[in-house]
This record gives sequence, C-alpha cells and structure tokens, in this order.
Amino acid sequence: MFIGRVAGTVWSTVKWPQAQGLKLLLVRPYRLGDLPPGAAPVAGAAASEPTDDLVVCADTLDAGPGDDVIVAFGHAARVALSEKLPPGSKPMVPIDAAVVGVVDRVEIPR
Amino acid sequence: MIRGTVVGQVWATRKARGLDGQTLLLVAACDAEGRATGRLVVASDTLDARAGEDVTVAFGSGARNVLRAGPENRDLLCDAAIAAIVEGAG
Repeated sequence: MFIGRVAGTVWSTVKWPQAQGLKLLLVRPYRLGDLPPGAAPVAGAAASEPTDDLVVCADTLDAGPGDDVIVAFGHAARVALSEKLPPGSKPMVPIDAAVVGVVDRVEIPR
Repeated sequence: MIRGTVVGQVWATRKARGLDGQTLLLVAACDAEGRATGRLVVASDTLDARAGEDVTVAFGSGARNVLRAGPENRDLLCDAAIAAIVEGAG
C-alpha cells in the first residue's frame, strides 16, 4: 500500500465489460520528503504536494481530487472491490490498484 | 521484501471493511547502504513496531501470511506487512 493525493479522474468508453461502472482516480504517491515531522492531517498546509508518478486506482469510497488516500495493489485491491459485490462473488476485473481508505491523519514523530 | 525504517502511522475512518482493526505504519524504504530512497510504503503491523525501528516488509501473499498463515487467507485485505524488526544488517 501507499498514501497519495488524488490528482484527478480517468474515464473511458471502450473498456473491459467487467470494468463498467468502476470509478478510476489518478493518485500521486507521497515520498518521504513530502511529509514533514509532527502530527498533522496530510491534506493540510503542513504537507507539501506529493512528487511521485501517477497511479490509476479504482475507487469505491467516493474519494475525490484533493483527498489523501491509502491505495492497495494486487489481490488486496480486488478484495476491497469485492466488498461492494454480493457475498461470495469475485471481482473479475482488470484492476490491480484500489483506494482502500481516506486518510484522516498521518503522525510522524519528530 | 524490502528493508525500511518506520517513520509514522496512518489513520483512516472511511475505509474498506477489510482494513478494520489493522494498524497501518508508514515505512521509508532503504537502499543497500541503509539510506532512505524516498519511497514510502504503508504496511500492516502485527509486531508493534515503533517509529525509528528498522523492519522488513513483505508484499503480496507473503504479507497475508504475516496476518494469517495458511492457504485460506485470500479473503484478507493486505498487500504489505511488517515481517520482522531488524536488529542488524551488513
């Protein structure tokens, strides 16, 4: 997993049918130098803008641009998507990254 | 796996149900010389690691085996977990 800031959204018409209805976000991961020491909400003046490359993530938590989020990769991403499906069904989707949390606070001791 | 240093903790109220009860730590990845590369990883912690401690982080099914070892753990929402607290490396 990583934390990052939602930088935008992606939409498409031509896609794998199982991906219909999935919202896709662009998330820019935070790097070590982006987060100052001290307890603070990330999405405040205390954090500088993240600087890493963008990652495309599925979103089921209604996150939006400017939110700081936790993103999971691989099977964990599909487990998060399966929570929105009927029990026992598997998310047969071409997705390998998903938003699994909206960050309240990051605490970095001095 | 990677080696890194615990730098802090992350909290989220709005989250996937699979993350309920998990402690999520921020780990700064290290290079071969032990210097931070800048890459930050969020990892589940079951070892009560503290900020400043050096740890190893396992990914994928290896991470799920940290939370619950065995073949029946594919329901877990975990892609990175602290697997060990490092005492020395050379």
